[in-house]
Amino acid sequence: MKIETLGRHFREAYRGIMKNSWMSFAAMGTVAVTLLIFGVFLIFAFNINYLTKELDKQLAVRASLQDGMPKAKQVEILNKVKQNPLVKKADLVPKDQGLEEMKKSWGDANFIEGLKSGDQNPLPDIIRIEPSDPKKVKELESQAKSIDGIVATDSGGGVTQTLLGFSGVVRNVILIFGIALSVLAAFLISNTIKLTIIARRKEIEVMRLVGASNWFIRWPFFIEGAFIGVVGAILPIGILLILYQAFFDTVNSGAAYTVIQMMPVTSLGAYLAVSTFVLGAIIGISGSLLSVRKFLKI
Amino acid sequence: MIEMHDVWKVYPNGIEALRGIDVKVDQGEFVYIVGPSGAGKSSFIKLMYREEKPTHGVVLINGVNVKRVRDWKIPYVRRRIGVVFQDYKLLPHLSAYENVAFAMEAVETPKREMKPRVQEVLELVGLGDRMKALPSQLSGGEQQRVSIARAIVNNPTFIIADEPTGNLDPENSWDIMYLLEEINARGTTVVMATHNKEIVNTMRQRVIAIEQGVIVRDELGGEYGYED
Ligand SMILES: Nc1ncnc2c1ncn2[C@@H]1O[C@H](COP(=O)(O)OP(=O)(O)OP(=O)(O)O)[C@@H](O)[C@H]1O
Ligand SMILES: [Mg+2]
Repeated sequence: MKIETLGRHFREAYRGIMKNSWMSFAAMGTVAVTLLIFGVFLIFAFNINYLTKELDKQLAVRASLQDGMPKAKQVEILNKVKQNPLVKKADLVPKDQGLEEMKKSWGDANFIEGLKSGDQNPLPDIIRIEPSDPKKVKELESQAKSIDGIVATDSGGGVTQTLLGFSGVVRNVILIFGIALSVLAAFLISNTIKLTIIARRKEIEVMRLVGASNWFIRWPFFIEGAFIGVVGAILPIGILLILYQAFFDTVNSGAAYTVIQMMPVTSLGAYLAVSTFVLGAIIGISGSLLSVRKFLKI
Repeated sequence: MIEMHDVWKVYPNGIEALRGIDVKVDQGEFVYIVGPSGAGKSSFIKLMYREEKPTHGVVLINGVNVKRVRDWKIPYVRRRIGVVFQDYKLLPHLSAYENVAFAMEAVETPKREMKPRVQEVLELVGLGDRMKALPSQLSGGEQQRVSIARAIVNNPTFIIADEPTGNLDPENSWDIMYLLEEINARGTTVVMATHNKEIVNTMRQRVIAIEQGVIVRDELGGEYGYED
């Protein structure tokens, strides 16, 4: 297509929008609401994904060793553990080191100090085992448990797993709303374009008679739909990014040792903006496609 | 060149508008299509610019079988044909100049080629000084001349006209006829359906008479032959 022709198609699309400005405006509004909901879905989806990855990184089996075991025996068990192909990395964590780590992560030294009965450290010596595949952590745990000298195992994550599952449900509910609304938005766009097609039926007739190609006739309607979709995407992108930043700041400043880790705005922003934009364009183009196929007989 | 072989047009409501048409129109001819109302003249015309497809039989436009042409290629077949109607079909919000330019824009002619060509054809139809006028500011005869300018602007090999003088008074009708004759003299084939007895009888061109969907007469230098 020639640049000149492309310019003409954009002008025609603009004319179509201005002609039905109220309908176009309503369609843009619907797209905006739709994309706002979709944006929330995307934020959930991105963050669940992010959180899962972060948690996988921390995932480890903590195998408690029998109390009072000599150091040599501990190393022997460690080597045995390391032979398992499911193990990426395994380290001995003596009880003193364990206590130090605990103090650091809980931040409340007095509470930990209180755990000590006198000079006695209540923690066991443990072996910290990182799985090569986070999905096989339970399998790894049961295998570790069967080793002589290991008295207890814990792979943690119970609470966070529940949280992830719940977020997944929320995400799916939002997705269903989003899809339903997109269909509605596409229909509204198709309706405004139908009005443009009807307003232009004389021009379309003449174009056909003089031999305009089918695409020449269709292009302005596709551009009109895509434009409504894309303009409808701008507002929700702005709103979503601002709200997310605010939410992110609140969560991250309030709780230093929270299990919830949110994806930083800098890495989420670009994904969110591009996905929302593309979705807007897709909704718009589907709307045009609907009415062009139904009302534009070439 | 347009050729039809045993062409039938049966509309979905069962009406047989054309029943076994065999005809050949050569490059450079001037042909009148005459016949009573409802005889099938407009149906015949519509087959010629592929507005309608034949129900049966073969229509060849410049050697192309229109039934076999893929839908997306039909516009390219239409570019070789200019069509003119009784009701002009001008776009009311565009000036005479813009109406003609619209046809060039629709086939993606570069802008710099458009201006001189539009001016040329508007001068040819005698509207060189009315280019900025809207259709509502032009007489019926002038509007029809704009529509003829639009039909010829892309250099078609054919002009097909369905009662182009149907809405015009005798004087304006004659102006249109002289114009079509001049266009024909430059080598463009003209096929025109008409009820205008005086014109047909004066111009003495090839006359094809259709009655009830059948060609009943086809003669060079023919007469109108009906008493309307
Ligand atoms: N689109 C259509 N659907 C159904 N029937 C049609 C259609 N177009 C034309 N007809 C019928 O086909 C027959 C021929 O019509 P056509 O318009 O070709 O006649 P005509 O010779 O042009 O008449 P006129 O001189 O009045 O313009 C008529 O009986 C008409 O009612
Ligand atoms: Mg007719």
